[in-house]
Amino acid sequence: MHIVVCVKAVPGSTEVKMDPKTHTIVRDGGAAVVNPFDATALELALRLRDARVAAGEPSRVSALSMGIPATEALLRDCMARGADEALLLSDRAFAGADTLATTYALTCGIARLAKGAGEPALVLCGKMAVDGDTAQIGPELAGALGAACATDVREILACDAHAVLVRAAVDGGMAELELPLPAVLTVAKEAAQLRMPSIAGVRAAAAAPVPVATAQAVGADTARIGLAGSPTQVVRSFVPEQRSRAVPVVGTPAEQAARLVQIIAEVS
Amino acid sequence: MARGAVAEGLIRPFEAEYEDYVRDESRSRGHAESISFPTSEEEVREVLRALAPEAAPVTVQGARTGLAAGAVPAGGHVMNLSRMNRYLGLRQDEEGRFYLRVQPGVVLLDLRRHLAARDIPANGWDDASLRALEALSAAPLQMFPTDPTETSACLGGMAACNASGARSFRYGPMRGHVSALRLVLADGDVLALRRGEARARGRALALTTEGGRALAIDLPTYEMPVCKNASGYYAADDMDALDLIIGSDGTLGIITEIELALMPAPAVTWAVSCFLTDERQVLDATCLLRRSLAHASALEYFDEAALRILRAQRAAGAAFASLVEPPAGARACLYVELACDTEDEAMADLARVGAALEEVGASERATWVARTDVDREALTFFRHAVPESVNMLIDERRRTDPSVTKLGSDMAVPDERLHDVVALYRTTLAEAGLEAAAWGHIGNNHLHVNVLPRDASDYAAGKRLFARWAREVAAMGGAVSAEHGVGKLKRDFLQEMYGRRALVEMARVKQVFDPQGQLGRGNLFDEALLADVPAAPGARAGAAAGKGGA
Repeated sequence: MHIVVCVKAVPGSTEVKMDPKTHTIVRDGGAAVVNPFDATALELALRLRDARVAAGEPSRVSALSMGIPATEALLRDCMARGADEALLLSDRAFAGADTLATTYALTCGIARLAKGAGEPALVLCGKMAVDGDTAQIGPELAGALGAACATDVREILACDAHAVLVRAAVDGGMAELELPLPAVLTVAKEAAQLRMPSIAGVRAAAAAPVPVATAQAVGADTARIGLAGSPTQVVRSFVPEQRSRAVPVVGTPAEQAARLVQIIAEVS
Repeated sequence: MARGAVAEGLIRPFEAEYEDYVRDESRSRGHAESISFPTSEEEVREVLRALAPEAAPVTVQGARTGLAAGAVPAGGHVMNLSRMNRYLGLRQDEEGRFYLRVQPGVVLLDLRRHLAARDIPANGWDDASLRALEALSAAPLQMFPTDPTETSACLGGMAACNASGARSFRYGPMRGHVSALRLVLADGDVLALRRGEARARGRALALTTEGGRALAIDLPTYEMPVCKNASGYYAADDMDALDLIIGSDGTLGIITEIELALMPAPAVTWAVSCFLTDERQVLDATCLLRRSLAHASALEYFDEAALRILRAQRAAGAAFASLVEPPAGARACLYVELACDTEDEAMADLARVGAALEEVGASERATWVARTDVDREALTFFRHAVPESVNMLIDERRRTDPSVTKLGSDMAVPDERLHDVVALYRTTLAEAGLEAAAWGHIGNNHLHVNVLPRDASDYAAGKRLFARWAREVAAMGGAVSAEHGVGKLKRDFLQEMYGRRALVEMARVKQVFDPQGQLGRGNLFDEALLADVPAAPGARAGAAAGKGGA
């Protein structure tokens, strides 16, 4: 079984800088980390692979990212933690992509990985990225690949060569969903904690190749990638005004209680 | 008794609301008649001047996180310095090093946050300090390296017990990172000390207070152990006067200002938890790593019992449910922290850790390498969860037998005695039939062996065992307290380590600083010993002259 995990480099801190002209996130490569939701996706993929291998089925996990050249270090870290291979899509032509253009680029990367390890049975993503917060890539990938999709997955309950059974959050609660393969799953952070690498893993990953592919190398249609391939236009970005405010409630305990009753009545 | 009007307002009767201030983290209790919370050196002096005529005992407190009961009052007055928590100034020397002046109540965690955010509260600083602050914000990130596990400790308390912790493997104890101090003596006079400015000649030290009082000190003649040590006064030929004050357990004066020598923070910090299958592997790996690692900042150990208790508390859920589970079959954990300038350096040391593990029969696969903040936090949580989970176990036992409390050792030996001291712990614990969990600073041959009594007779047997360990550790050339200080709980061990003559010599030093024996009563010395020691020639005379001049 071939499992592809899509990972995104996000800023290590919550301070996100916006480019005032392009209205896109400034990615300077300083102190980037793997998006925490994607880290969980990697852990679920590794567990599934380990279980399949233990059951006697050859299985592989590939980590895929689109990003600046420095993202290679994060992919190497994914390998240190157990991913079998990695591919970085890095090219100025990819820059400025919205979720549609990103999805297209990722499908090109998946096609490239499929040449070596076979068509993926599963593609796992974090349910969202902590910087962009769109939660669109997973479902869009499913659409582009013609695969089934479950979002906000909390647990992979079972998986065989034909179907995967998951527990996922749905409107109003949790549901057990059975999806035919191939499928795309987006996972919640609480689903698992990404394992730490071992010394052996770090050493092996340091020596392993992390191929870096340009748009041309993966045969991407230049009209569908980067800023040019992005129908989303960010007209303006701004810090939202704070709408809620605190109101001090003063007076004797009885007065405060009366005022509280009044406030509750006003807002409800 | 004529107390000044200011002191009158500062010194409050010890009422029920101050109950917390008769205790510290050692879980011992004391008693007191009055308490003060000074906010400035002037207020400290005011209070002491008011208390001197009646020779009232004064116990100084900071954050009360100590484990040797040094801050637990033995009657008299409690002076709590937690409200002296201001940052006073900054300077940069010609080599570019930064020195930060703080009041003693500044809490370590706050200091670290301010340094990490390059945001030090600079209210009221002079122009020179503000210029240094500007230079600091442009300089590589700075740190204060002393790292006792308890980050709610305050800097004054840390100086008073010469704190160390895990990273003292690389950076040594607090002593090496203090460049100046101000000390208020029992009579309200002040001693200002700066490293390099006042040194002993041999074992004779001469100091002059700001009030003009001359202090002639015959330093103790003992040789200190060649290992981590926080037992009794620091004493060495030609030593710096500052080093006598650091680690003096609140018995010589009240520290009102500390200048901390900062250092650049390492650019790359990696941590590795290595899981091994027996203690012998840990000891052998420690000896190998001490020699081979170029950039280790900490070498820590958690034994099988500690891991077992941790697993049990994790399974019980609540606070430790999110803890990463140790690998199955792990019976010992060795934690290695690397502080490097580059990732290449870290990688080279990491390979050495792997090689050492393979050499002792363990596996470099059974390791967790933390290179990201998330992973480092997971390992920190794991390390801190060990003592916490043991405390929880003890709390459960106290519910059935309130007399039960944890007995934690704090002894260190020279490098070549590591295997011997661990053998001593294991054989004697087995002979006594006691349950114990050990963890701590194995790189410094300094383990906290915690006896976990099931009942009062276990507790008594544990205390007897500790006395025996103190004797045998002293015979190995070790220290009975390596980092917690002696305080009140370990003063009998101090006599085991140095003998009575050394205690008398220490008491004479104290007499010069504190002729009426007011400060830190019960710390280091028992009352009988202090009463027995005849005043050293000159001590009384010096004191009398000082009172006139102060």
